[in-house]
Amino acid sequence: MDSFLEQQQRQEEAVTGRSRSGRGAAAGSALQPPLPSLEPLPLQPASSHEHKLNFRKSKEACLSYIQDAMLQKQWKRAAEFLTFYVESLEKDYSREHVGPSEIIWRIGTEVFCHHSHKSMKEFSCFMEQMKTLGVKRYLKVCLEHVFHLLCNGQIDEAYQNLSLAESWRYGEQTAIQDREMKLVQAYRGLLDYYSWSKQKNILLEHGVDGFADLSVEQEMHSCFRKAAMNLKEIIKIPGVWDLFVKCYVDMLEFYGDPNEARQVLNEYAYNSRFPANPNAHVYLYQFLKRQGESKKSLISALKILHDIVPSHELMIEFNTMLQKSKKRKKRRLGLEVIFAALDYAGWKENVKAWSCLARQVKQIVISEKHLDWIKQEWNSRKDWWPAFHFSRYLAKRNWQENKSLSYEKALVAGILLGKDCKYFKYVSHQGCKAQVKRFRMLKKFVNRHNPVYLRISGLSDSSVQP
Amino acid sequence: MEFPTTLFSSYFGVGPPREEYGSGPAAGWGEHGQVLEDDRGPGRRQKQPVFVPRRGGTDEIWDPAEAAAVPLLPPSAGCWIPSPAPQDILNRNNLYGKFRAGRSEATLDFAKQLGHFFVDHPEDAFGSMGQLLHKNFYLGNSKLKSSARSSTIRMTTLMEDIDRLEARRGCHRQHLASRLRWFSHLCRDWLFEVPLGLLADCLHEELMLEWSNLLFDDSLTGGALAWLPPEDTQSCTGCLVHPGGQAMNHLFFQDVVLEELPRAQGSPAQFELSGRIRQVSAARVDGKDFVGVRSDYHCGVWRVPGRTQTAPTPLQVIRTDVPASCLTVSPHLPGELAVCTHSGTIYLWSIETGLQQLRSDPQTMFFRDHSPWRWSDFTAHPRVLSCADRTGLQCLDARAPRKCHFDLFKVGEEAGCQQGERVVLPMYLGRAHPSQYLVTTQFSVYVLDERLPLVPMLKWSHMMKAPPVFAHLMPGDPGRSHKVVLGASHTQELLLMQYWGKRWSLEGAAGLGLLCTHVPGSSVPISQPSYCWDQLLHWHWVLTGQFLGCVSSGGSQSACQLAGTPQKLHSIAGCLQHLPTQLPHRHHLLQQRLGAPAAGLAATLQTDGTRNSMLVFQLSEAGDVFCQRLIHEAVCPPAPTSKDEAITAPGSSPLFEAPASSPLGLASEEEEEGEEQTFYLPNLEVIINDDEEKYASTPAPLEEAELPQESCAGSQPTPAVPSPAAALRYRRWLRALSRGCRELPQHTWTPSLSQRRLFTRKELEEPTGPSALQRQVRQWLRQVMQEGGRIQHWKPLAFQPPALPQPLEPSGGQDPLSTRLTAAWSGDWEQWWEDRTSFGMAQRQRALRERRRRQKRARGRRSLSASFTSSLTYQSELSELSDSGPSLLSPGGPPLPSQKGSSPARSPPGGSRAASPATDEALLSSQSLRNRGIPKERRKTLRDYLSVWAEGPPDTPDLPASQASCIPSSQSQLSSASQTRRKRPRMGF
Repeated sequence: MDSFLEQQQRQEEAVTGRSRSGRGAAAGSALQPPLPSLEPLPLQPASSHEHKLNFRKSKEACLSYIQDAMLQKQWKRAAEFLTFYVESLEKDYSREHVGPSEIIWRIGTEVFCHHSHKSMKEFSCFMEQMKTLGVKRYLKVCLEHVFHLLCNGQIDEAYQNLSLAESWRYGEQTAIQDREMKLVQAYRGLLDYYSWSKQKNILLEHGVDGFADLSVEQEMHSCFRKAAMNLKEIIKIPGVWDLFVKCYVDMLEFYGDPNEARQVLNEYAYNSRFPANPNAHVYLYQFLKRQGESKKSLISALKILHDIVPSHELMIEFNTMLQKSKKRKKRRLGLEVIFAALDYAGWKENVKAWSCLARQVKQIVISEKHLDWIKQEWNSRKDWWPAFHFSRYLAKRNWQENKSLSYEKALVAGILLGKDCKYFKYVSHQGCKAQVKRFRMLKKFVNRHNPVYLRISGLSDSSVQP
Repeated sequence: MEFPTTLFSSYFGVGPPREEYGSGPAAGWGEHGQVLEDDRGPGRRQKQPVFVPRRGGTDEIWDPAEAAAVPLLPPSAGCWIPSPAPQDILNRNNLYGKFRAGRSEATLDFAKQLGHFFVDHPEDAFGSMGQLLHKNFYLGNSKLKSSARSSTIRMTTLMEDIDRLEARRGCHRQHLASRLRWFSHLCRDWLFEVPLGLLADCLHEELMLEWSNLLFDDSLTGGALAWLPPEDTQSCTGCLVHPGGQAMNHLFFQDVVLEELPRAQGSPAQFELSGRIRQVSAARVDGKDFVGVRSDYHCGVWRVPGRTQTAPTPLQVIRTDVPASCLTVSPHLPGELAVCTHSGTIYLWSIETGLQQLRSDPQTMFFRDHSPWRWSDFTAHPRVLSCADRTGLQCLDARAPRKCHFDLFKVGEEAGCQQGERVVLPMYLGRAHPSQYLVTTQFSVYVLDERLPLVPMLKWSHMMKAPPVFAHLMPGDPGRSHKVVLGASHTQELLLMQYWGKRWSLEGAAGLGLLCTHVPGSSVPISQPSYCWDQLLHWHWVLTGQFLGCVSSGGSQSACQLAGTPQKLHSIAGCLQHLPTQLPHRHHLLQQRLGAPAAGLAATLQTDGTRNSMLVFQLSEAGDVFCQRLIHEAVCPPAPTSKDEAITAPGSSPLFEAPASSPLGLASEEEEEGEEQTFYLPNLEVIINDDEEKYASTPAPLEEAELPQESCAGSQPTPAVPSPAAALRYRRWLRALSRGCRELPQHTWTPSLSQRRLFTRKELEEPTGPSALQRQVRQWLRQVMQEGGRIQHWKPLAFQPPALPQPLEPSGGQDPLSTRLTAAWSGDWEQWWEDRTSFGMAQRQRALRERRRRQKRARGRRSLSASFTSSLTYQSELSELSDSGPSLLSPGGPPLPSQKGSSPARSPPGGSRAASPATDEALLSSQSLRNRGIPKERRKTLRDYLSVWAEGPPDTPDLPASQASCIPSSQSQLSSASQTRRKRPRMGF
């Protein structure tokens, strides 16, 4: 710390030599010095004597210099300050919750990640030291180290580290440590899964040739056992475990255990202690589809997804499925689903969705049956859909950017809002001008079915026959 | 609008936050959080899996182009009145303690504030009693006549006691003021107009309010600055909407041209509102910008047509009974806004259909919190609004607000919050992703997805010193990260963070076309957009070595990732060190002005040709708008090509470039530039006491032409000195600031002092033989006192050589400066000085003799103060009236008259404090005033009176040299500046 103080003092002198206010003036010479000039500190720079008396204060000052350097991405400077800050470990009598050891770990990791002369070996060395610094933090540091290795593609090293961490024992575990331990095991399971999948691929490739390597197969099974055991544990705890669930189900499916897989997915999707994760429903739906389940069960799975996320991209698939159904109720649901999806800003320019809606609306209009479905759906939207979807501005823009989108939208607009609606008028006019046959047909169709608009919007109570 | 196929793992708990402490000051560093397998690379399944971290992935590198933020607009006219600072409200002793011990309970300086109230509003405090009693209280000095003594008491001693009490603040022996104690005991019950207890209660309440506002002012949430981008991306003229004026009640729509340094174009459209503008929010719907403006009791909405040069139209105003706390504009439907008030009511405000109340609940949602702050914003569904209080966020369906709602965010275990964490600012991130939301708390930043409520997609400890109350989103094009700038108010912090998350609509050729232009680091032209995906994927893979989550070929979307590390941006206060050096008191004022809390934040991305830059605007409570530019590094190659050179060359600085389009503008600009220099030099020269700094800064315009390369190089990480163009901006801004502030004290602050009590007629009578100068001075003094004017602004009138003693020019004809310089040049400078001083000695002795004689003649008590040595110390206390400045006495200083106006005078420290011959007449003239039997206590009054003028307005340095001087010395300006500083502690101001 003392050396830091001296350094700081020297620097302050250099700074004050230039500007009397004592603020860190960025002198021209300070472009690439070992210690570039400093930003002003929140606390006024006191005399160094006072700093020496107050160890804590200088610690804080040093930390704030480090922070400052890091926030300006001056990693080299931060690293230099950090070497001073390490001294704070020597007299660490603080009873603060976050001790300097944790700060050193966090800052050191960050600096190592960004420093220009980084090497994985040094980083690992640093991490090993950090692990020994705090017992309570051991597992967390291990996990972070593993993440770093994984992101740098060192999967084997990561696996070793995970195994080591798993075997670590120290007194009673706190709740947080328990959770971290579970994560360590789960990630080890994940890596086991990857090696399982690798061997599976080898077997599948060579198995065709009749070349069955027993040892590879055995190894694969042992990987499966290890992976399954660990993955099974973590997905019982409420949380978001998309990665683990997918792997586990994949393995179960491979070994022909669909019941267990179904149970896992059901649990993941429908257990109320878990968050309402749309992916859980998606996985279940995809699983059911793979298993060749009946339409009914597929629809019921998607219905639940529709209830929690009406804007999910699977809704198009859901709508197509429902539209094909013979049951009136389901077709009705299909219309609801597509209307609901198009309520969302993210679907505004989705051609597929608009063509689904256009197709269904067209069907209804032609068949003259169930106009009341449209009417009901339209009732809650007629005050804002025109401004949201069918404004003149959008007509222009859609026409410029995507003709097929504007075609579908114009059809819907023409039916819902009549032939005088701005969107339809603009698009059909442009389409006719451009001599596109499709748009001429569209105009004819809408003109023919214009009375429908009156019925939908409730302008005429008596049903008008065409 | 796909949902990410795999999310990062996390535990999910329910209940109140369990974590007692955060992870301390470095909590945001060094964590990857979780990793996720990135399984979308083609054919990578066979090899080993590739992982991406949740935090700390690759980011875009943005380098600041300037050393500090640069003023964008000239400072608003009129002085800014700073809002109260902690030292105004807190007890002084306590303040010390607070800074020493870290955190101790704050004590409000209640007594001082009450005292201020009595002084500022005497009519309200003592009106009736004062009228009743004023005949019975005598404030004069002389003794009471015996006839009056029965019904009148003399208050003078009491007043003196009060004065002394003030001087003795902090002294332990306070019991000495028994007389005061006795008086207050006697009249506490009946003297006050408002019962003291009641008044104290009200005052205390107000103080508490002020203090809590000082700790955290939530009325600023959202920020009062908005940027309306140009409609077509090619154009570079946008519109900045900001408040201004002294009370921040004027709304300005200012067109801004984005160039190397953005500049204002034309005069702004201006609207005067009836309250301080707290928030300005804007959204673009159907090509038109809708701007919502919130003040405490009024909310208004303007429409700005997409094209520039068309005036904004005010559409509607609503008034609220309780202060409004939020106003957001719908990004989906034109003319829809969300309004919240402190009563806990949330309205959907439509221009066409009026207000619809969605919820009214004074209680907070998830647990009890005392704050009445509410916020509301829009979501992906145009009929669903979010509503927030300090405890979390809920989403309501406007069609059935009671029935349909769900919890989006809870301060609790669900999001892994810490105890004491509170929502500070929620923001809809619709422009980046239609279902994402940003929530900031005092500790962390969360990115939420409304499709998976309660579980944050991203969480990060921002480590800011003050809670971020402003945020601005800059959506990245596909393949680019989204950028969010967070801003705090009191500390002016600005933090840039980036995150990955695919932008939504990626269909059709338009999306692909966009994509092609933004492949980072690629210089390969892409001819066919249809190949783009594959190429892009490949490049990303090759160039970054790490697959960036946002780009995907399968149409699925990766989970949100925080990209890289956050970056600190320049704050307004940071430019102080780059401004020309100021006199200390002006430096202090400037520091105060630049350090004013931030009031708003806006930012925009700009692409011109190959360059990507980011412009960040920051508004301060004083109404100043500063901006800074950041340059995307990938675009600037390390070795500047000829094109880059052209861009960064000095000619392209706004100063030179703007005229290129209009030759007329060139002339005027340059003229102004020339004018500035000539104007600037003399007026600063006279005043600034350390000229090294000044010389270092003033020749910048010259350098601008000569040394462009080194200062303009944009590829440096952080330039250490501002570019010449920026330096010019600083000086212009500074000049406009001092010009704007000068007028204020004159017409708003005219102190009135009773002249009657200062001098009696007898005292002001002509003495026996006053010199011409004395007579003149007296006449001025009298005249000014009659007019209630000020001494400092006196013109030197006829004060020219006749008033000055001639002997100063001994070598006949040649002026002393040249004599001295000649002497110094030839080396016998010391000899010259010797001559000079010996000559001065003679002169001084004569003056001394003369004064002694006069003293003997004068009536009344006389002290040694008139003698030479003591007169000097006394002189330092006296104002400029008698002051000829110690600078004259310095050995290096040339005699007075030669210095006038032209050369910068410096006052070297130390030196023999002998009066120079030149000053004798002046000294005598003032001393004669004093020696003419003005009693001692009056002398203090006089001193006070004069020192009021000596304090002067802060802008005195800017007076032209001809006006700057005041009697009797032509350059007392300088000495007044140095003297005021020395004197200040004694004046009690």
